[in-house]
Amino acid sequence: MYVFTRRLAISDPRTEVLQGTLDLMILKTLDTMGAQHGYGIARRIEQLSNDLLRMNQGTLYPAVLRLEQRGWISSKWGLSENNRRAKFYSITRAGQRQLAAETENWERVAGIIARMLGQTQGA
Amino acid sequence: MPRFTSTLREIAGRIRGMFAKRDREADLDDEFAAHLDLLTQENIRRGLSQEDARYAARREFGGVEQIKETYRDRRGLPMLETFLLDLRFGGRMLRKNPGFTAVAILTLALGIGANTAIFSIVRAVLLRPLPFPASERIVRLFHVPPQKSFPGMSVFPISPANFIDWKAQSHSFEAMAAYRPVPRTLTETANPESIPLSFVQPEFFSVVGIQPELGRVFYSGEDQPSSPHVAVLSHTFWKNHFGSRADILSQDLILDHDRYTIIGVMPASVEFKAWSGTAGAAWIPLVWNDEDRAERGNHNYSAVARLGPGVSVAQANAELQTISARLAVAYPREDTDWGATAIPLQKFLIDAYNIRAALLVLFGAVGFVLLIACANIANLALARALNRGKEMAVRAALGASRLQLIRQCMSEFMLLSFLGGAAGLALALLALSAGNSLLADHLPPGTQITLKAGVLAFTLAISIISGLIAGISPALRMSKTSLNDTLKLGSDRGGSSAENPRTRALLIVCEIALSFMLVNGAGLMIRTLGALQAVNPGFDSKNVFTGSFGLPKQSYASPEKKIAFYDELLRRVRAIPGIESASYVDNVPLSGGSMQPISVEGHPAAAAQDAIEIATRTAYPQYISTMHIPLQLGRDFREDDDHALLVSQSMARAYWPDEDPIGRQVSFLMGRNTGTWHVVGVVGDVPGETLSQLAPRATAYQWSRDRDWTYLTLVARSSANPSTLEASIGNAVHSLDTGLPVLRPNTMEKIVEGSISSQQFTMWLLAGFSAIALALAASGIYGVLSYAVRRRKREIGIRVALGARVGQILTMVLTGAMKPVLLGLGVGLIGSLLIGKAMQSLLFGVKPADPLTMITVSLVLAAVACAASLEPAFRASRVDPLIALRNE
Repeated sequence: MYVFTRRLAISDPRTEVLQGTLDLMILKTLDTMGAQHGYGIARRIEQLSNDLLRMNQGTLYPAVLRLEQRGWISSKWGLSENNRRAKFYSITRAGQRQLAAETENWERVAGIIARMLGQTQGA
Repeated sequence: MPRFTSTLREIAGRIRGMFAKRDREADLDDEFAAHLDLLTQENIRRGLSQEDARYAARREFGGVEQIKETYRDRRGLPMLETFLLDLRFGGRMLRKNPGFTAVAILTLALGIGANTAIFSIVRAVLLRPLPFPASERIVRLFHVPPQKSFPGMSVFPISPANFIDWKAQSHSFEAMAAYRPVPRTLTETANPESIPLSFVQPEFFSVVGIQPELGRVFYSGEDQPSSPHVAVLSHTFWKNHFGSRADILSQDLILDHDRYTIIGVMPASVEFKAWSGTAGAAWIPLVWNDEDRAERGNHNYSAVARLGPGVSVAQANAELQTISARLAVAYPREDTDWGATAIPLQKFLIDAYNIRAALLVLFGAVGFVLLIACANIANLALARALNRGKEMAVRAALGASRLQLIRQCMSEFMLLSFLGGAAGLALALLALSAGNSLLADHLPPGTQITLKAGVLAFTLAISIISGLIAGISPALRMSKTSLNDTLKLGSDRGGSSAENPRTRALLIVCEIALSFMLVNGAGLMIRTLGALQAVNPGFDSKNVFTGSFGLPKQSYASPEKKIAFYDELLRRVRAIPGIESASYVDNVPLSGGSMQPISVEGHPAAAAQDAIEIATRTAYPQYISTMHIPLQLGRDFREDDDHALLVSQSMARAYWPDEDPIGRQVSFLMGRNTGTWHVVGVVGDVPGETLSQLAPRATAYQWSRDRDWTYLTLVARSSANPSTLEASIGNAVHSLDTGLPVLRPNTMEKIVEGSISSQQFTMWLLAGFSAIALALAASGIYGVLSYAVRRRKREIGIRVALGARVGQILTMVLTGAMKPVLLGLGVGLIGSLLIGKAMQSLLFGVKPADPLTMITVSLVLAAVACAASLEPAFRASRVDPLIALRNE
């Protein structure tokens, strides 16, 4: 179980692992929660990770752009709770497929590593 | 698959993201603002004040500008966008410095324009293959004449009997054909005109390898004397003369009152104008009767062949040599020392026009000009680069990487070179369209010079490479700046000041050296032309009209009829007002002619093969007086002379050095006029083929009261411009025979000019390039010096303040300028000696290492360099020390 106890600097796009993780989290959030704007996604990620995950919220946007360019999420303009113009994102069917594939991949990798660590640590 | 498609979608999205920037930025602002607003609200709910809530929200959000940058990098294609930005910036910089831009573009345009024009010519002449399948396997067959009878001639026409034996005994060729271009007159039409025809053996079409467009070509048995007359038309003739009529195969072609059935039409692709075999209006079977076929000693035909599969030219030549040796043994009288050779057709055509050497030299010249142009650009670029030292340092301080600095500089030069390339292309198109008409006389007939896609690619490549070469040095230099030093010292002193004078001096040395070689080449050609024009042609070419006639067999069957026609025509021509004198000869000077073996009384040849061949001409009385050829001994022909000869001075000296040649007997062993002739006079020498012949060829003019001459050329000297006579002479001919055209009407002056046209062409082009090179070198020196003076303003100011006089400043600047120039002259001199060898074949009357030319060129270049240095030097001497010391 990985625990992030301090703020993540996910703004650096060169850290591939964290990049992919963020994509996964965004997709999962949208899948679970339905259409959200950027603030909503950030808050939900913090919620879903039991507040263990805190990050610079703005760094979501480049990731969201990439997901949208790849066709995994779609966007629509609407009004925020504050009656401001905001973009709402929702997961697409292709996104759902990607989410499923990535989830399976992640679980597989985590399982292998957990087994390896489990052998030296016991339960 | 999904990965692939999503990548594609990302790319598509990125491309879309490049447009509508303003809207997208506004959207991004809105989105961020909404997010920040929500965060702020949340913080307010937690109990923070407005201010604190906002600050906290911003902190939680992250660096807005940084995130926006990352976002923008993802949204579009950053590399492409920066490139476009660089280009726009480069364009702005160029606009801000119009002087630099104009000079640079002009320099490149001249260099690239000239290059493209010459490349097009080279391509049109040297690189375009013949329009026949596997054209490299087509060879021309020639005799190699014995050198002692034909000194200096490496090829000779073939004789029928020998050709037939070659054909029978060789295995190297899959097809062989003899042919002969002969003009005939189109008769029974409103306007009789002479049209060029190719008389070919039927196998000719197998050699050429192209199928007829309509109908058929000749069968192998169609060249018998008894065969019906047939003809194959060329596409152009069918179009122009018969209006491309569909029923052409049922029509007749009437030549000299003979009917020829048209049996086929060849496609336009086969018409290669430079080769006489395919330049005619029609092909007619070449008929050899038994007598023709037995002719071994008279060489009057051309031959062409196609190499058999897998046979090389060398192998074919080896076989021909073996066969020739065999024939020499079998027929010692005619064939001793007569060899045979096969030359690839394309090579022969190019060499025959002596184009290759000239074009290669010109290509070198063009390369030089481009190098000089690039050197100029590099110099200009260096000057500008150093001016921007401070700007570069500031950019670097703001975070530009070295790569970005280089890219920024490169884009400016790439833009420059593209603009220069475009300007150059425009210039080239202009030059080619103007030049096509001018150059038509100087290149193989019918070659059209057009700009092709290959040329555009070449030009573009040169533009890009020029930009790279010119841009790269200053770009590299700039990026190495030590930021601190540059920012401290100020804009004028950016960059390491030590290295640059050497680089700039080196560039000047190169420019001067290249210019020297170019101008020297031009100078040599000018002297060559001068020498050629100064050659005494042995006759007076002013105001002499020439026109040829060929009497058709049908109307002029007997010698008497021919004599009657020519004599009467001469009488009428002489009666035309304005004509001082007129006569006939078979070939005028500088247009080639017949060569025959002779045997001289008192110099008996051991055998016929040792007989020297001399140039022979048939001429009427008063020919030499019409042409103003000096009569040195004896007298001109008289009407009633029988078998009389006028020999040239060189012939008299060769055969009768110590005796009186008058009355001597000469036997002509072959040709149209055999028998024994006697000398009645000695005349001056006249060049047969070119003015640059170093040793005059022995020539004999023949005249007899009984003669059988079909082809003659009329020469008529008038008191005024001879071209006005064409009409009157045409009328005189028409009054005697309405169906007889005047062939190739011309003037002797034009013929003489035409004989040196290729040297003239080379000279003019080299002179043109030299002028461009001089202009470029001068502007280069001027630019370098101006800049150097500007940079040394402080130093000069100090000197003046310390008491230096105007003269001293001037001397200092000028000597500084002339040092690289002198070095350049030295290098150029050595270079000229080296390339002199390459030019040797083009020169006449002047050696490649001619000292007079080199000294003149040195003086010219030094003068140009001096002139270019004067203005900056004067500017330097007038520097006000106070102003200079105060400014940075």
